[in-house]
Amino acid sequence: MNQERKTVAVLGAGTMGSGIATVMARAGHSTLLFDVNEANLQRGIGTVHGFFDNSVKKGKLTTDQAEAAKAALHGTTDLTELSRSDVVVEAVFEDLALKKDLFGQLDDIVPESTLFHTNTSTLSVTGIASGSRIPGRVVGTHYCNPAPLMKLVEVADGRHTADWAHKATIEFLHSLGKTSVVTQDRPGFIVNRFLIPWENSCILALEAGLGTKESIDAAVLGALGHPMGPFRLLDIVGMDIHQQVAMRLYEQLRDPRFFPPPMVDRMVAAGDLGRKTGRGFYEYDDTRLFGS
Amino acid sequence: MTPSTTDTQSPLDLATFGLLGLGTMGAGIAQVLAASGRTVIALEKDEARLAAGVAAVTAALDGGIRRGKVTEDEKAEILSRIRGTTAVGDLADVDAVLETVSEDLEVKTSLLTEVAAVVADDTPILTNTSALSVTAIAAALPHPERCAGLHFFNPAPAMRTVEVIHALQSDERLIDRLEALVDSLADKIAVRVKDRPGFLVNALLLPYLNDVIQELDDGLATAEDIDVALKLGLGYRSGPLEMLDMIGLDVHLNATEAAYAATLDSRYAAPPLLRQMVAAGHLGAKSGSGFRTGPSQTS
Repeated sequence: MNQERKTVAVLGAGTMGSGIATVMARAGHSTLLFDVNEANLQRGIGTVHGFFDNSVKKGKLTTDQAEAAKAALHGTTDLTELSRSDVVVEAVFEDLALKKDLFGQLDDIVPESTLFHTNTSTLSVTGIASGSRIPGRVVGTHYCNPAPLMKLVEVADGRHTADWAHKATIEFLHSLGKTSVVTQDRPGFIVNRFLIPWENSCILALEAGLGTKESIDAAVLGALGHPMGPFRLLDIVGMDIHQQVAMRLYEQLRDPRFFPPPMVDRMVAAGDLGRKTGRGFYEYDDTRLFGS
Repeated sequence: MTPSTTDTQSPLDLATFGLLGLGTMGAGIAQVLAASGRTVIALEKDEARLAAGVAAVTAALDGGIRRGKVTEDEKAEILSRIRGTTAVGDLADVDAVLETVSEDLEVKTSLLTEVAAVVADDTPILTNTSALSVTAIAAALPHPERCAGLHFFNPAPAMRTVEVIHALQSDERLIDRLEALVDSLADKIAVRVKDRPGFLVNALLLPYLNDVIQELDDGLATAEDIDVALKLGLGYRSGPLEMLDMIGLDVHLNATEAAYAATLDSRYAAPPLLRQMVAAGHLGAKSGSGFRTGPSQTS
């Protein structure tokens, strides 16, 4: 458990936001989950509570620990309630204007010493930081999904990120039990920078008849030590998500390796998005992504 | 691991292999074939190379014993099935030939021509090439329909995938036979592929590794952080830069240059930093220096 109890605000109660709020509350920080929509907020809080209940069932947390973590979490739809935050982590939609606007509004609400973290996966940290009058306090902290289970956080400074903010961010992530890697503010950081062209090249190889989905998955699994083949992974990620991330990176990089191959468009058009729709490259009876 | 000797066991197909070369790949493949109950006659240039190859197999098996995966009896049986020779004539009666010599078309075809002259006309002649065209190798040999690729990954005992490569000339029945052969090896998966540059796995892997090397040179992150990110973020067993150190940077350079020459696809073009590392003798684990190994670590 963390020595220093901070007040952490998480913006956006979607999948990533509620996952990050889970991480913060579990580490003992006083956690405030913000969403403009009350229904989204309640759903997000429900997700966090559900995670803690599950941790108790799996023996990872005691009932007392789970209750303490739940008690550390509060929700709000009022941005001004974030005034005492030491750290703000934004995990709202991948919309530059929205993210900039939130940081600009928070400038008037929180002290100058508050750290601003953005969980963007495809936008420029520098661009988001420009929404704050103090861009030096903005740092990119890209969590992996599901955030409570994945140790990795990619840390990227914007052009104007201050040294103190970078150092405080690394220390903070360490206190959460996360492993941080430091990367540049470039599209895709490290993981998506290499994953998206990799997945695209596997899709193109399939279309070109280098193998079947089964043989490519099996070959990659058996030769490269990946935990699953590229098509099993795409089915979990979702073809719509892959298409969006690939397109956003392509728009910034203009590098054809990032362009989603036509097969992606066809699968999205057909509604074959992966596990969540019961069919992607493979067919599924069970549409849950990470078990219950 | 040890084949049953009961009556119900059908005799092994391709029971005796002539294995050309007992280097890293050859030694690993010899171990895999011998563990399946097959006899391996390994051909090398001299006794010293043979001894080094047998020592490598012995060391690998001792590692297996330490991990509780191999027994002393199995080790003795496997080693007893691997014989060495320096005379091509000793391969006359083998059921199949598999070459694992250096990735040089001239070296491979001249040795295989010698071997083809002593084995039967229908003895399968297989290549473990990763960089050359199996079709081009077959074309240099008499009865090319008995040629195909059988591509193991390094280290051969650990990596499950084996690509069975159909050259333009390959007899379909030979490909079926090789798939069955791979199925008879412990824990291996046969993947049937066409004879394209890089086949399947390297066609995907080489551009990815080149991309990582270029981004490292361009300062995206340290070598360690790139590896850590991809291992923790994607669950890969090894990061791309530690994988390159294990493959050997010279081996990777050779493979990607061959794929580039065959396709003129810029994704296969060797990144300048790769050439520099090889020029400086930083070849990875085997030279004690590489991207993640020793003093030449780039971060």
